[in-house]
Amino acid sequence: MRILLAAGVALAIVTTPALAQEGTLVLYTSQPQTDAQQTADAFMAKYPGITVDWVRDGTPQIMAKFRSELEAGAPQADVLLIADVVTMEGLKSEGLLLNYPEADLTGYADGLHDEDGAYFSTKLITTGIVYNTAASMIPTSWLDLTGPEAENQVAMPSPLTSGAAMIHTVTLTENLAEGWDFYEALAANGAQASGGNGGILTAVSGGEKLYGMIVDYMPIREKAKGAPVEFVFPTEGVSAVTEPVAILQSAQNQENARLFVDFLLSEEGQELASSQGYIPARDGVALPEGYPDRSEINVLNYDAAAALANEEDNRERFGEIFGQ
Amino acid sequence: MAGQIAPAILAVLAVGVLAALPLGRLALTALVGGGGLDFGPLIDRMMRGATQRAIFNTLDTALMGALLALLVGAPFAFLVALTDAPLRRLQGFMLLLPLIVAPQVTALAYMQLLGPSSALLGTLGLAPPPGTPNPLLGRGGIILLYGVQHAPIVFITLRAGLTALPRDYIEAARASGASPWRVLATVVLPLLRPYLIAAVALAFVSGVGNFGIPALLGMPVSYFTLATLIYQQLAQSGPGVLPQVAMLSLVVAGIATVGIAIQVMGQKRAGFAVSRGLPARIGLGRWRWPAAGAGMLLITAMLVLPMAALVTTSLVPTYGLRLSLSTLTSDNYAEVLLRQASTMRAFVNSFYLAGLAALILALGAVPLALGLRGLPLRLRHNLHGLLDLPYALPGIVLAIACILLFLRPLPLIGSLYNTPWIILVAYLMRFAALALKPVDAALGQIPPQMSEAAAAAGAGRLRRLWTISVPLAAPAATAGALLVFMSAFNELTVSALLWSSRNETLGVILFSLEEAGLSAQASAVAVVTVVVVVALLLVLDRLAGRLPAGVLPWR
Repeated sequence: MRILLAAGVALAIVTTPALAQEGTLVLYTSQPQTDAQQTADAFMAKYPGITVDWVRDGTPQIMAKFRSELEAGAPQADVLLIADVVTMEGLKSEGLLLNYPEADLTGYADGLHDEDGAYFSTKLITTGIVYNTAASMIPTSWLDLTGPEAENQVAMPSPLTSGAAMIHTVTLTENLAEGWDFYEALAANGAQASGGNGGILTAVSGGEKLYGMIVDYMPIREKAKGAPVEFVFPTEGVSAVTEPVAILQSAQNQENARLFVDFLLSEEGQELASSQGYIPARDGVALPEGYPDRSEINVLNYDAAAALANEEDNRERFGEIFGQ
Repeated sequence: MAGQIAPAILAVLAVGVLAALPLGRLALTALVGGGGLDFGPLIDRMMRGATQRAIFNTLDTALMGALLALLVGAPFAFLVALTDAPLRRLQGFMLLLPLIVAPQVTALAYMQLLGPSSALLGTLGLAPPPGTPNPLLGRGGIILLYGVQHAPIVFITLRAGLTALPRDYIEAARASGASPWRVLATVVLPLLRPYLIAAVALAFVSGVGNFGIPALLGMPVSYFTLATLIYQQLAQSGPGVLPQVAMLSLVVAGIATVGIAIQVMGQKRAGFAVSRGLPARIGLGRWRWPAAGAGMLLITAMLVLPMAALVTTSLVPTYGLRLSLSTLTSDNYAEVLLRQASTMRAFVNSFYLAGLAALILALGAVPLALGLRGLPLRLRHNLHGLLDLPYALPGIVLAIACILLFLRPLPLIGSLYNTPWIILVAYLMRFAALALKPVDAALGQIPPQMSEAAAAAGAGRLRRLWTISVPLAAPAATAGALLVFMSAFNELTVSALLWSSRNETLGVILFSLEEAGLSAQASAVAVVTVVVVVALLLVLDRLAGRLPAGVLPWR
């Protein structure tokens, strides 16, 4: 018996890295409520000695909370798990992130993560087109939203309030031949830009608007429940945010934070993301129900560093076009 | 008069902690840049077109909304408090509903009622075709919903005044041959003026600080008020955003101050004391049923139909699906009540936080109001105005002030951040004005002769407080506590930044669900909230016999 126990202990030492596996971990995230709870629960199930205290809110609000704490001189969070890379890039340039270059990145495409290991992509959330099934025109291209059938019928999240929407705007203006003229045409066609993705889904499924730009998982999930909506991956391709995770320089529980990053990047963590209805970032993990094959999803690239540098200009330009 | 000084100092201290502290911290962030006091950026910001448009929109919607609230709330206050119309208790009860439903839920319910997917309009064949924008978007819808949302504030405030109306005045006028209308115009309205002004001012200030309604109805069409503009600025989350937001907050504080000043000017000319007698009652004669019917019709259109739309949405699997026997489901309720531990926790948290805030403020309101009454008139008015400001500011701004104040550990209490107590403190700051106003109005109408007579008979200060002021102000204090409880129970904007793990509030849960596109689940939470609060009010109603008269606004 004693030998067995000793063998067990030895095995445990070999298979798990000798790191702190107790104490707490403070997670600030922009994941939806249920997903945040599931992620925390799954991590705590794997490391029963660690208690995860998580706070969730939209990326802008959670950043406002973090900034207020910073201003008052007592940041609370250990780990950030938020929508977009541009915000992370900003934090990195201010020296607020802790690099973790030792993270195991097998199974991930090159260039998906920050090269210094400051932040890591955990999933792909693409933005495409949603339409109400009562609509007569079925959109296949982004340009369909500027056509006469879509006049006054398009809703989209505002890049002024949503970081993910800003990345979408930057991606489309960089990749579409029309560039910013596409947004000029949208505005001229009476498109509405406001709020976040939840409001877009409500407007389109409620029939107040027939078309919308929206993140993939929301309409796919609600369609499965019977909502009168369809999601389209337009022919030109889609933009994507990667919901990056990062350890903060000011983290009190750095070891636990590394374990958390490892967990999200592991096959187990990626399967959790898939079961929640997201496209996992790691190759070889199956996509959830309702999505086309991974090879059929054409994700357009964009320059994150330029997006950060031009953030203010892009905002102003968008604000000007949409009169905001 | 040495006995006057200590309570007055305590009252000034209380106002300082509740209002001056958070505002001062904000002003510090807004005006003190790298090198000392600097008004340049503030003036710069004021000159921007977007800021000026938002200022105008805020004034416009808050003022029109307050007048609409008066138009809706006042007739009900008269009907319930002064007449013998049938069903008046039911109507008074139902009119409280907008207060216990979060503004963003009211907005959502109305949009569901009038949009293309409206179940009601669809059944009648009147639903606009898909692709029709919602008629509520923009200025008109915001004003309409301010009117609905703040009608209960007018109703409760006016009703507190009306129950203080002595019957003999009205009976004397009636006996001298005055018609009911004449009684209303020459007796009731003049006596009611301080309450009328307080009611409109409260509704106006509530409109200035409202976020949920302009967020849902204004932002989609780029119609900004200051509250939504601040949110927009904050959302841009650049490093320099806190000073900017603090600056815009000062603009809101300025507007609220103007509203409050108008109220103070009105009250200066009122404030005569009347003796308290049996509550007045006017017989409506053959108009009893028509009056009741008109009231019910308005309540049905205003409250029952939107609530029905909300219930309908909560019973389908996803928003946009028509309710039918095959789509009917209780999944949303099962999900939020059984599967999501956070929702149940939020109910308990909000209940305790709102209840504690209401209790503390109700207990503190009478001594606070009395203490302030010991001060010179001008100073007292200014302090009242100061106390109104945390209520008028958008909640998110007060939340930032609280973070700046309480994040670092303080002597004796430590850091309040990440505990539920920071939310409680913010609630006390935000809702103090709601509790104080009715109490101050009630105290102002106690004739000083009563206290003087008691003093002459040898009663000490405490004894006079306990036997005169407290009983006479108790109905007003309880009314204030109810207002506080119901406003705090579904409050969102303050707790949005202050909640921490396991300390979530109902507003936070609702907003999260909305943001995740789960309108059906959000509707289910909203419906359960309404049911819980109505049940609570019914319990109170059963206890009415043991409470002082005039405490429950619908009886």
